[in-house]
Amino acid sequence: MKSHLPLLLLAPLLLIGCAAKQNLIVLTPDNSGRAGALELNNAAGKAVIEEGGKAVTLASRQSRPEQASLSEAERTSLFGEALAVQPLPPVSYALTFEFGADALTPASQETIPKILAAIKERDSLDIKVIGHTDRVGEEAFNHALGLERAVVIRDILIAQGVEAGAISALSYGEGDPLVVTDDNVPEPQNRRVEVVVR
Amino acid sequence: MKKTLILHCLFLLAVTAGNAMAEERQIGKVKALRGLVSIIRDGRTIPAFPNKAVLLSDVIITGSDGAVGILLDDNTLLSMGPISRISMNKFDFSPATNQYAMRLGMQQGSFVYRSGLLGKLAPHAVTMDTPVGTISMLKDSNFMAKFSEE
Repeated sequence: MKSHLPLLLLAPLLLIGCAAKQNLIVLTPDNSGRAGALELNNAAGKAVIEEGGKAVTLASRQSRPEQASLSEAERTSLFGEALAVQPLPPVSYALTFEFGADALTPASQETIPKILAAIKERDSLDIKVIGHTDRVGEEAFNHALGLERAVVIRDILIAQGVEAGAISALSYGEGDPLVVTDDNVPEPQNRRVEVVVR
Repeated sequence: MKKTLILHCLFLLAVTAGNAMAEERQIGKVKALRGLVSIIRDGRTIPAFPNKAVLLSDVIITGSDGAVGILLDDNTLLSMGPISRISMNKFDFSPATNQYAMRLGMQQGSFVYRSGLLGKLAPHAVTMDTPVGTISMLKDSNFMAKFSEE
């Protein structure tokens, strides 16, 4: 009997703890430490939440948010399962080509393994290969050249074991330059294929 | 009279087609999943699985052992834990026409929100309806939240 006493004393405290954290919002700062700001609007009025890493709790639509501490253990128990299935952010790579040709520059050849790793890591079936050109030559020619370059990269990826159906190859021609130039100006940085892995 | 009827029919057809199109619009994809996760779409409950498209107006629910990670088209990463429920009320990410809107109904459960391009380009266009009130973004923000059913 005596041994049950501490548990009995603890029970109401646990209940209070739970009730207070029925509803909880916590801003999580990004890599540079910026937390952003949210505004909560309800029957009790408007409140700004802008302190990163600190939690606010509130009981209902009628209450104002109150600062609360959130231990690492509570964070894991509340959000561990959701964090475990958080997708990886999409990533994009630029591959550049030798002038007027569909041969990759040596630096870009070294990027291919990184792309393959990103695809594998994400189990991605959602890969976009977008060909771009500079403004030397006619628009129609450049559209075709952009597509040709995209297809070169697509075929490299397929040869490395990526499922063909997971890749869509398209061309933006000279329409989406990295560096804006006048017409007919050669610009090596614009002769590229963008690979987006989602 | 006959003409009016035909016009009426055409009008109804146009309205229905418009609605169907609005509801079919893809806004993201399921990327990771554990346990039981379902999508309520057009009043029917269908199972969710990796790479399944998430459409505007979908409601996504997780079971007691469920968890799901969703990648929205603007690169927002949205994940939720067990016994959670979210509705995709509004989503418009059209940089070409400068149109941005996101409104999610976080109805119940645990949520992890990692902001994408909508939060970066138009934080004021991002809103969550929750059991404790409406949350709007003042600045680009990542957050975690837990809500009990109202």
